[in-house]
Amino acid sequence: MIRFILADLRRFKGGALAVIVLIALSVALSVTVTLQERAVRLGSARAAENFDLLVGAAGSETQLTLSAVFLQPSPLPLMSGSVLAKLSEDPRVDFAAPVGFGDSADGYPVVGTTVQLVSALSPTLAEGAIFARLGDAVIGSDVPKRLGAQIKPMHGAADEGGHAHTELVYEVTGRMAPTGTAWDRAILVPIRAVWQLHGMAGDGGHAHDHVTEGTAATDHHHAGEASERSAADERDRETHVEGDAALDEHFDTDTPRIPAVLVKPKTVADAYRLRQEYRGETTLAVFPAEVLTRLYATLGDVRSLLLAIAIGTQVIVIAAILLVTIMHVGARQRQIGALRAFGAPGRAVVAIVWGELFLLFLAGFGLGILIGYGAAQLISATVTATTAIRMPVEFAREDVSLAAWFGVLAVLVSIVPALSALRLSPATALRA
Amino acid sequence: MLALAISGLTMRFPGLDAPVLAIDRLHIPAGGRLAVTGASGSGKSTLVNAITGLEIATSGSVSWGGTDIARLSAGRRDAFRAAHIGLVMQDFHLFPGLSAFENVVLPVRLSRRLTPVERERALHLLETTGIARPNQPIETLSRGEMQRIAVARALLSKPGVIVADEPTASLDRRTGNEVAELIVRLAREQGATLVVVTHDPALVDRLDRRIGLDGGRIVEDSAEARAA
Repeated sequence: MIRFILADLRRFKGGALAVIVLIALSVALSVTVTLQERAVRLGSARAAENFDLLVGAAGSETQLTLSAVFLQPSPLPLMSGSVLAKLSEDPRVDFAAPVGFGDSADGYPVVGTTVQLVSALSPTLAEGAIFARLGDAVIGSDVPKRLGAQIKPMHGAADEGGHAHTELVYEVTGRMAPTGTAWDRAILVPIRAVWQLHGMAGDGGHAHDHVTEGTAATDHHHAGEASERSAADERDRETHVEGDAALDEHFDTDTPRIPAVLVKPKTVADAYRLRQEYRGETTLAVFPAEVLTRLYATLGDVRSLLLAIAIGTQVIVIAAILLVTIMHVGARQRQIGALRAFGAPGRAVVAIVWGELFLLFLAGFGLGILIGYGAAQLISATVTATTAIRMPVEFAREDVSLAAWFGVLAVLVSIVPALSALRLSPATALRA
Repeated sequence: MLALAISGLTMRFPGLDAPVLAIDRLHIPAGGRLAVTGASGSGKSTLVNAITGLEIATSGSVSWGGTDIARLSAGRRDAFRAAHIGLVMQDFHLFPGLSAFENVVLPVRLSRRLTPVERERALHLLETTGIARPNQPIETLSRGEMQRIAVARALLSKPGVIVADEPTASLDRRTGNEVAELIVRLAREQGATLVVVTHDPALVDRLDRRIGLDGGRIVEDSAEARAA
């Protein structure tokens, strides 16, 4: 029987191949949509794992999250450094680390922070040591620099017309273990170095209540007017930064202004209490996971839509296949009639027609899963290459039931032409 | 070896007033060899369909060795045909993609497992019919060889009856004669009743009796002519 089915399929290999490809492509579409949505969800959930609570200046919750978790360059309002000082001393807080973005080097974001955040992201470094001097830098696993390499920071990004900071050249002293997050592309430096580069050391936070533009950066005195810009640049250049100076990670009310503070609360209850407290007129406190969940909800809607489209195409494909098969069975009436005339029982005829169709469905389904999986891997790899966020493409338990549904549908759909094969008497079929 | 007894058989098709076939009485003894002749449209093929159970008689009975196939259910009729009637048709109805041997055993394999005895018999039949290489794909064979394979297939299940519908019509004279000789010889050797629809005078001559059909009725019968 199997040999007969295979011989039969070989005879119609062009058509069989077309049907398989049709099914495979429509299945691949649904598989890719499902896998990719899951990959984005898992990937960004993992990226946010280390970020329990974020405190920033009042503004957009989403922007604060995207900037801190994904290091997305965008203008963030600054808040007073005293918030950091207060959080550092709060007994409910395990640690509070400043996050100062805005600079970049060779297209990689330079982030000013403290030793504690580096340890939180990478408990043991892949190589080298954590920064000990103002001029030291620890790089993410995806930054293509060697230990001892020099990093010349640049204000903003080169393609945004930023200028180089000439006052300080960082030296790479360590490399973090891979985290699978956007921070794998980051260059971590002491926050005080960033402040000093921008002439903010110790200037408290009074008088500058404007927002930086173009970059998500530290306070810069050239917010708008071009005339002021050159003056500020002058001032930047004048500032001298002592690269050998020791770290000072004690913060007080004189601490300069910062875009965000990452807070590691001691307990879940503390986390909620802290969020409540720092939600005010001047500051904003968010759980990044919660913000991302809201974003996923939107993502989920998109997925539902795409999946509906994918299923729609599958229905069309199945209908087309049904049409092709019914025509095919019509054209094969003579063969079917002959099989019965020579003594093949009806069930064998049904099994042959049904088996052929089912084989095509199965082959198309298998191929579709492979193509879909490959496509999702490719998309994830592309995303990882540009953002360093690892997006795990994996199958989950709920996929099994989806596959089972497809199987049941395939069985039911292919039984229709099989039964129609027995409609005619063998003699009528032979005359066809 | 089965005897055929037909009585009061009519076959009608929807939309046609006159029956396509109307045979009051026809009897072939077990082991008899009957030739059926007639112009096209005379009801020859309908007769073949009726006596093989490929089509259901509108009325009357078609009885093989006492079993009235007109009264069997569709499944039973198919099973009866598979077990007792070997069919040979004008255009062979072999299945491409399979070898000569696979074609011979296909009907059996589709209904159950092939026994070693049947396997031996299939190879033996192919040898008898002059097919040297049982594993040769069917597409590469000549028409004469194809019809001989079809004959081997018809004989595999040791049928009591062989019904051949224009078995030599699509062959040239020489191969036609060879196939005709083969069918008659094997039917005799296997002890099967033989019914052949044919235009071929050489084939008619090899058989015991000839009936002529016209308009669905028997208009000529060599047995009656002899009796008269």
